[in-house]
Amino acid sequence: MQTSVEIAGGKVQSPSLLLSNRARLRQRIAAVLGNGFLLAVTSFSMLAVLFIFIFIARDALPFFQHNGLREFFTSTHWYPSAGEPEFGALAMFFGSAIVTFGAILVAVPLGIAAAVCLSDVIPFALRQFVKPIIEMLAAIPSVAYGFFALVVFAPLLQQQGGHLLAVAVWIIGLPSAVLVIIVLSDVAGDRLSDRFQSWARWGIIIILGSGALFGLMVIGKSLSALRIASGTNAFNVSIILGIMALPTIVSVSEDALQSVGRELREGSYALGATRAETIVKIVLPAARSGILAAVILGVMRAIGETMVVWMASGNASQIPQPWYNMLDPVRTLTATIAGDMGEADQVTGSSRYHVLFAMAFCLLVFSFVCNLVSERFIRRSRQKAGG
Amino acid sequence: MKPLDMVIADRPDVRSGNNAGRTPDERTHVAVKVFSVFYRANQAVKDVTFNIPAGYVTAIIGPSGCGKSTILRAINRMNDLVPGCYVKGELLFDGQNVYNPDVDVVMLRRRVGMVFQKPNPFPKSIFDNVAYGPRLHSRLNQGELAEIVERSLVDAALWDEVKDRLDDNALSLSGGQQQRLCIARVLAVDPEILLMDEPTSALDPRATLRIENLIAELRGRYTIIIVTHNMQQAARVSDFTAFMYEGALIEFGPTKEIFTKPTHKQTNDYITGRFG
Amino acid sequence: MNLKTRKILDRAFAGSGVFSILLMTAALVVILVPMLIRGWGAIYFTATVEHRHLMLERFDRGNPERVADELNSTRETRAPLYRMITEFEKQLETSDSESRKRYTTPLRELKKAIHDLLGPAPGAIRPMLMRDQYGQMRWGRALVKLRNVLYREEWDYSDPTRGGIKALKPRAAEFTGTPVEPLCAYLENNLTDMMLPRRTLYWQFLTDNSYDSHFFGGIWPEILGTFYLAVGAMLFAIPLGLIAAIYLTEYARETRLIGMLRTCISTLAGVPSIVFGLFGLAFFINTLKVSSSKSVLAGSLTLALMILPTLIRASEEAIRAVPHTYKEAALSLGAGRWHTVMSVILPAALPGILTGIVISMGRAAGETAPIIFTAAVSVGKPLALWQVFSQPTPALSWNIYNLATEHEAVDEIRHVQYGMVLVLVSLVLILNLAAIILRARVSKRLKG
Repeated sequence: MQTSVEIAGGKVQSPSLLLSNRARLRQRIAAVLGNGFLLAVTSFSMLAVLFIFIFIARDALPFFQHNGLREFFTSTHWYPSAGEPEFGALAMFFGSAIVTFGAILVAVPLGIAAAVCLSDVIPFALRQFVKPIIEMLAAIPSVAYGFFALVVFAPLLQQQGGHLLAVAVWIIGLPSAVLVIIVLSDVAGDRLSDRFQSWARWGIIIILGSGALFGLMVIGKSLSALRIASGTNAFNVSIILGIMALPTIVSVSEDALQSVGRELREGSYALGATRAETIVKIVLPAARSGILAAVILGVMRAIGETMVVWMASGNASQIPQPWYNMLDPVRTLTATIAGDMGEADQVTGSSRYHVLFAMAFCLLVFSFVCNLVSERFIRRSRQKAGG
Repeated sequence: MKPLDMVIADRPDVRSGNNAGRTPDERTHVAVKVFSVFYRANQAVKDVTFNIPAGYVTAIIGPSGCGKSTILRAINRMNDLVPGCYVKGELLFDGQNVYNPDVDVVMLRRRVGMVFQKPNPFPKSIFDNVAYGPRLHSRLNQGELAEIVERSLVDAALWDEVKDRLDDNALSLSGGQQQRLCIARVLAVDPEILLMDEPTSALDPRATLRIENLIAELRGRYTIIIVTHNMQQAARVSDFTAFMYEGALIEFGPTKEIFTKPTHKQTNDYITGRFG
Repeated sequence: MNLKTRKILDRAFAGSGVFSILLMTAALVVILVPMLIRGWGAIYFTATVEHRHLMLERFDRGNPERVADELNSTRETRAPLYRMITEFEKQLETSDSESRKRYTTPLRELKKAIHDLLGPAPGAIRPMLMRDQYGQMRWGRALVKLRNVLYREEWDYSDPTRGGIKALKPRAAEFTGTPVEPLCAYLENNLTDMMLPRRTLYWQFLTDNSYDSHFFGGIWPEILGTFYLAVGAMLFAIPLGLIAAIYLTEYARETRLIGMLRTCISTLAGVPSIVFGLFGLAFFINTLKVSSSKSVLAGSLTLALMILPTLIRASEEAIRAVPHTYKEAALSLGAGRWHTVMSVILPAALPGILTGIVISMGRAAGETAPIIFTAAVSVGKPLALWQVFSQPTPALSWNIYNLATEHEAVDEIRHVQYGMVLVLVSLVLILNLAAIILRARVSKRLKG
């Protein structure tokens, strides 16, 4: 393919850079086909999401058509196999909610503290050892967690639960009480004149200290005397789910904390703020959206978990009395789906079968919304970090 | 080939920076005509016009951000990779507009080789690095391939150092060796033009010297266009020099003249170190 | 606040972070240690002569003569027990109806307890169930059963506020003055000679089929099933995930469509695993009918969907981590886009991609919820390769659940449950460890 090119009076032979028509056509077709193929394969995930929605909704719809919405969402009567079946799933919704709430109560403070520690406190070399621990926690299969909850933790809770709770209260309560008292005495002392200051300070420390000690002892004692009827309950599951949600929360919020620039931190340090003040007042607010995303992802992990709650939540479709009693057994949506599907008639498709899809549909919609929200938060935190 | 001084003496057009009217025996290899490059709204190269003669070493100098790398990367259309980048004007390679939509970019890049700022050998063996290009473009048996690899490595002045360990990973070489390997990799596809984008900026002085010697050896066989921020280097290795500032071409001419009696004040300020 | 207080608060703050990390570590240790120790107990334990007897009879393992010798010697030590019982039974036949009435039930219970411990009495008819044909295989379980022989559990419900209180009554006291009276003491003193406990490494636990719903044998069907499911899932997910990652990193421009695609991928990642299970049932089995009912194929497909987002993200990250210069170099040599990806980018990203693959494989192996309705059964034979298209399989994850909650004798087979947990957890952790090591080596190389 030689073309002669006119260059300032002389002729030089130079191969053409242009494609021949056929080659161009071939290349276009290959590009379009290749791109199309790749896009098609990539769209598979989109198709999967679409199909999941369609197929879950398709089998959930007959239930809503047949039984309406009211009973499902407001009644706690769950008698799917009675002669006159009742499908009130409120207790399950409540169970999922309280278990998730408990898990978040465990995982969020611990997770954020750990993330802060990883990003700002411990040296890099040490971090290399902590990361695998988090990864291992994330990697342990849920059924192993469930097995632990059922076979190790539940009996322990049943026999020693009261003492365990008492010890936990002491471990958490004592240092926090000490801190609160120190701060209070400091703040109160500042308002008085110099003459009374140290007197007042010691007075406050002694009075509040003995009060706190007394309170802790009373609480500890009453907890020690507590008898837990069954080790498989909402409390047990909350702890385990909290541990399972930890890795997600730690890694996502650590990312968010890392993306807050050095400049911001240095600015605060330069003004004489301590590390704690810098992190609480500057870094955490700046990383807010990322941390919110982390919490939402943790919620999703907890609410979608099946095996642990199925094995160790007690599976009693009731709302505990009083409702915040975490030591009662509960039943969640996921566990109900897993447990009842075996008995539901799949082939003819009874209400019993469709109600489980209705539950799955609710879970699906919830996780979809959570996901959208968390994505938004993550995007926002990235934007902030970027500019 | 005529001695350089004679060529320059013959060519008043080169001296003036406008070498449109040229002697017939000299061939313009790359002609840049009122050429601009935009990154989205930002114009990185502004209406630049100059001709790069075949077989010589042309240096493009200027302070960082002046568009010298951009214009270099425009020649083999590496800017296509940058999202939002588009061009105006003409850039002719052997008289053919490189930005003609029907141009076979693969063919173009094969004929216009490029060496990058940081040595970037593939994480493969030394042999496979050099053989990468030839394997792409033609079906060769092992013997022919080995021949090409050896010739390219010899040309890149690396053969003696690596001939006993061609199967070693290329990343085990030193920085300077890696850069010469990259040059050998380009030579293996037998290009007509060699683009060098600050090829020694990541190297120590000794390695730099070897690359400069190599450029001197390759001169004449290839048209070499080198972007450098190092004025001494431009003075040492190049026959022609283009000085760019803020996207515009300020001055183009034989290196000797640019460095001894520049016609523009900005050029003078730059080469004497007042800015940049 | 004065500086001292602020410093104390600062320390407390750092301390709380360290505390939570320590707590996390402690949680990991507390969860793993019982599984590792007791799981190891499924493989290495103190086995009685009954174990060796079973091994010889069912698996043809061990030295026949030695086992015969051992059986003979235990039979001799056990003989006085049965003599005592026979003697007492003879005596009862001739005694008055009142004492017969008094001793019949306790004696039956005693005989049952001894049967549980030592297996069928010599000369008795061989029972139907395999679990009744042998005595206790494990010394630990034997000691529990010994207690059942020595003591009778009684529940005291006299205090209505506290539920039942357990009390242990010695059985020997029930038979005072009868020929059976010394039995308990004899049993207690000679149990070692009757059972001949010995430390045994039963590594075939990993490769044996299970017998009599996991009372005996190993967990090979479960291991194989888990392997099939995980590998099957990877076979579907790897091509899809890899191509999607290549497209998203190298080809796609940031259009609306791509944004939607990314949202879909993260949505897929957030779908609860049980919903995947239902979807697998409704779509793969009921609609597509890839198999007439549960099958490994349907389970693998479901698992593949579940791990697809993880795989895409990991591969995307690995590809993005490849230095841009490789791509530039390849393109500047005149390579096409696809060729650049295949010859330069993928090889360089491979270790990172492998890390993602290994981690997702661990996830696929450990998941339970998606396979409940699509692939898992509690009891089954190991499948041949061609059966995976139509047959369901036992799997480690599912059977851990099943044996720990739905088995008829949960306490009797704790060791099997722990063994399965150990195998599953080690499998997953080893895969993850491999990933960690792989990644460390990659980051070193990219730095170097």
